[in-house]
Amino acid sequence: MGLAEQLSRPFLQVAQLAELAGGATDQQTVAAHWQTVRAISESSLQLVESYALSLRVNGKVTPLQLEPVTVSSLLYDTAHSLQPLARQYAVELQLEPGPRAQPIIADRSVLQAALTSLGQVFVAAQAETEAPSLVRLSAHRSRHGIVAGLYSHAPQLGADSLRRAQALHGRARQPLQRLVSGPAAGVFVADALLRTLAARLHVARYRSLNGLAATLQPSQQLQLI
Amino acid sequence: MHVLLIEPDAVQATTCTTALQRDGHSVARVVSAQAAVHAADQRCPDVVLLELQLPQHNGIEFLYEFRSYHEWLHIPIIIHSFVPPRELQHAATLQRELGVVRLLHKPQTSLAALCAAVKASSSVAA
Repeated sequence: MGLAEQLSRPFLQVAQLAELAGGATDQQTVAAHWQTVRAISESSLQLVESYALSLRVNGKVTPLQLEPVTVSSLLYDTAHSLQPLARQYAVELQLEPGPRAQPIIADRSVLQAALTSLGQVFVAAQAETEAPSLVRLSAHRSRHGIVAGLYSHAPQLGADSLRRAQALHGRARQPLQRLVSGPAAGVFVADALLRTLAARLHVARYRSLNGLAATLQPSQQLQLI
Repeated sequence: MHVLLIEPDAVQATTCTTALQRDGHSVARVVSAQAAVHAADQRCPDVVLLELQLPQHNGIEFLYEFRSYHEWLHIPIIIHSFVPPRELQHAATLQRELGVVRLLHKPQTSLAALCAAVKASSSVAA
């Protein structure tokens, strides 16, 4: 239900933009509307694809394709795919890949789909503030592994509120109200994808920003190469 | 009419604002309940358009707070939300006691219908 409710939002936006474009005479305005429609449609498609991927991988329909992945390049690609939506919502994306980290063994598509789904929620959440500011994609080393996540000035979530939200997902209309007003489906899609890689989404704080991240284990084997 | 639009989503806020402005209204858009009270204090609206799903607070909390101010008791409020009216347990109370003149379900409401509801609200005493 959470995903259906999430997707009703971009559908409504597209319907409203089409209604407005129908009554507009100025070509520049119409072009701006279609640009918005494109950004919204592309990000919604990404979310649907990520959800489908999580079902396929969890249901063992599609096997994981494990390969060496560098987290910095993953963050770069995620930022690139989030850019059109962020531009539309006037949210600045900051990329902080951190120090050169060891590669991890993971399914690159699964990890990127998780981070992109998460990023969409963060961009939408920032756009709901009085002064939209920034979403930072960051990776850093911790004693537990490489922490890759998304951060913003949003109020800090407690570990409890994330657990509660996971329990409420699909039943409550606003499971993560402290972060975003909508169903936040991207957070739960990201969590489902990360679980297939034996990682979990957790609350994180880094350099005065609050966010959600996953701790990934660097590959000991690749370290030897 | 001066419309206070309480809408967290930037794209929907832009489309609603554009449609209402084309219809001759002025619009002040805010994203939260707290900012809405502040905006109403700055310039008293003729009608309030409210999304119930807001960040940090919910729209019902806003309704009770808004109606606690004597000077805003008679301002009509239109709920324009993703929450369908059938899921609002106290819809009758909202309409009777809190001066909600219309409950509009966003996915079933075109911009033209929204503008018509705003126009009609001027003749409704809350």
